[in-house]
Amino acid sequence: MAIIFGAMGYLLWSGMEKSSVFYLTLEELDARKTQLSGDGIRLAGLVKEGSVHGSVLDGGIIFTMTDGVRTMEVRYSGQIPDTFKAGASVVIEGVYRGKPVFEATALLAKCPSKYEPAGVIGSPIRGVTGDVP
Amino acid sequence: MGSAALVIAFPVAIYGMAASLFGAIRHKDEFVRSAGYAVYLNFFLVTAAAVSLLHAFIARDFSLQYVYEYSSRSLSGFYTISAFWAGQEGSLLLWMWLLAFFSALVVFTNRGRYRDLMPWVIHILMLNGVFFLLLLNFVTNPFLAIPGQSPGDGYGLNPLLQNPGMVYHPPALFIGYVGLAIPFAFAMASLLAGRRDDAWITAIRRWTIFSWFFLGAGILLGAQWAYVELGWGGYWSWDPVENASLMPWLTVTAFLHSVIIQKKKGMLKFWNLFLVIITYFLVIFGTFITRSGVISSVHAFGKSSLGTFFLVFMTLIATAGCAVVWRRRPLLLPETNLKSLSGKESGFILNNFIMTLMMFTVLWGTVLPVVSEITTGTKVAVGAGFYNHIIGPLAIVLLILMGVCPHLDWGGTTVRNMLRRFILPGFAVLAGGGLAWGVGVRAPISILLIAFSAFVVASIIEESINSAISNGKNTGKPIARALRRVMAGGRRRYGGYLIHIGIVVIFLGLSGATLNREAIATLYPGESMKVGQYTLRYEKMGWIPSRDRLAVKTRLKVYRKGKTLGYLTPERRFYGGREKQPTSEVAILGNWKEDLYVALTGYDRDERAGFRVLVEPMVSWLWAGGYIIALGTMLVLFPGGIPTRVLRERKVAR
Repeated sequence: MAIIFGAMGYLLWSGMEKSSVFYLTLEELDARKTQLSGDGIRLAGLVKEGSVHGSVLDGGIIFTMTDGVRTMEVRYSGQIPDTFKAGASVVIEGVYRGKPVFEATALLAKCPSKYEPAGVIGSPIRGVTGDVP
Repeated sequence: MGSAALVIAFPVAIYGMAASLFGAIRHKDEFVRSAGYAVYLNFFLVTAAAVSLLHAFIARDFSLQYVYEYSSRSLSGFYTISAFWAGQEGSLLLWMWLLAFFSALVVFTNRGRYRDLMPWVIHILMLNGVFFLLLLNFVTNPFLAIPGQSPGDGYGLNPLLQNPGMVYHPPALFIGYVGLAIPFAFAMASLLAGRRDDAWITAIRRWTIFSWFFLGAGILLGAQWAYVELGWGGYWSWDPVENASLMPWLTVTAFLHSVIIQKKKGMLKFWNLFLVIITYFLVIFGTFITRSGVISSVHAFGKSSLGTFFLVFMTLIATAGCAVVWRRRPLLLPETNLKSLSGKESGFILNNFIMTLMMFTVLWGTVLPVVSEITTGTKVAVGAGFYNHIIGPLAIVLLILMGVCPHLDWGGTTVRNMLRRFILPGFAVLAGGGLAWGVGVRAPISILLIAFSAFVVASIIEESINSAISNGKNTGKPIARALRRVMAGGRRRYGGYLIHIGIVVIFLGLSGATLNREAIATLYPGESMKVGQYTLRYEKMGWIPSRDRLAVKTRLKVYRKGKTLGYLTPERRFYGGREKQPTSEVAILGNWKEDLYVALTGYDRDERAGFRVLVEPMVSWLWAGGYIIALGTMLVLFPGGIPTRVLRERKVAR
């Protein structure tokens, strides 16, 4: 019994070490910038109007994420979710290294409309680079 | 019409809830009978409401807010009907309708039986009805009208929902969810009525299997939708909403196994009740997560009042359930105790343990953002890696159990028998592992998955043959005849084995993911790209308008080893209406071995196109496994053929 719980605890712990990320707003990122180098983070915000440049055809896009006050430049070269556009609320994931442009490894976008089609799609649409889970 | 029906249904349900309670406590049959009629009336009224909403959609009545938001004149009939459950209000009405229907069915099929349980069952089912009718009437009413002039056309259904998978997936899931209220009601009823026996388990057997099946089907259908429609190439992302449906499925599966122990050995009574309660709690919890957006959005606790209602209801279920179980725990003492670790009983107990650990893992990962925010002030989230890292090894243990358990005897297995029975399956493990390595699988988890899948199949075959041999010896019949006899006589067991094989097939499908290959390229017409053994030549691009959309369609010719396999036409579609939502239509060329999956990621006026191509082995095994499980479920549900089964049940229940 004890062995199983021990093994389970170890699995949970190592699993979390491997892939847990901080889920932050731009404001919180600002506050914790100095403590976060090298950590995985997820960042939520809106896509600033007119800030999307580049194309997936040419190796990726650069856009600006904003919460109305702060901004962050993001570069992303993976498949772009269908719901991504200026004004959409997005969540990006990547490792924070303190650089001016954030390299996102994952991009999720939600519908900018007021009502969620709740009960059916609660989950945002994803586009991922790298391994397909 | 519709809203009136809903308004009337509310007090009817309250009456049903109150009358059955009064009748149960005071042992007054007339009240219970009248509560039964209230259940039927409730069903009639909710059906009227549902029909009314359906009619509003079909007749394009855009004066109703809900119809306006989710349909339009150009929407096809098929999807107009599915728009019914596209949004919050309508899906809750669907839920309530299923609850009303199942409640009426339960009352009808059990009339004259379980006289002490039924009052409580009605009470609990109507209590649920009151909750949902409360929401439908006062919080999320589908019949709200748009003030002022009725709009000429509707907003339109999100094109991502215009896909067959999205039409079947919610109803299947809801049938599973709502169906699980019935085992919950009977379990509570058994405790409240003070019964010591297992009558409640007999009463709910088919309901539980039925709900389990639809829940699982709903999950698979959702995965298939994600794969085919969302365009990122995967089918499961451990998203909170996906997890919400998986958790109750895990606990019902555990329950389906542990009831066998209770029926056979009188053990695990307390545990089984706990499982039933936590299953239903997870059902409500799951729908709470999905509808309140608490977990998927950042810092949005209590965003809508709907969440609060569900939170209160969940708390009620959890506390009432635990309180009743605790007070009646003298009824739940085991009849026998676990005598040996090598018996079938331990196998089942370990199965339950593992499934509970899996559920807990999924729960932990799902609520972590909320819990971490409350305790540390920072939201922490985990990705797919966390879940796969833990669930993977647990799944291997489960596979091993699936192969070992059929060979264990009740009460303990001798070492000699163990050695004898596991020779063939043991070889299968090595053969499976070797095969995996030979085909190029290198990830340890996948190798183990494949090796032990072979183990399970070999084990089931061996067990069947052993049974046939001993049957043949006893009756003097030839083995083939004996085998058929054994299977026909033990349909429940062999149906169960067939379901296990279906699960194994699904696991094998999942293991293919470690061999996925990907390639990304931007091509001009005439150029080609290679992925694995495939070559894709981009031929042309076209702009194709149709009634409700504009499609940018590309054509690719697919070769493998010089031979032409066919054409793929991935598209990007732009729907009109107010939504203006672009969607990606992926193109899939699949066979039993693997899927070639192509998405058009971008394009420009020069006819340059960006393609993302994936070769995903074994994906079709996932869906095939689902069909096998369906077959096995039929056997388990109707072991004696349908008429015999119902007759037998009527005789037993009193």
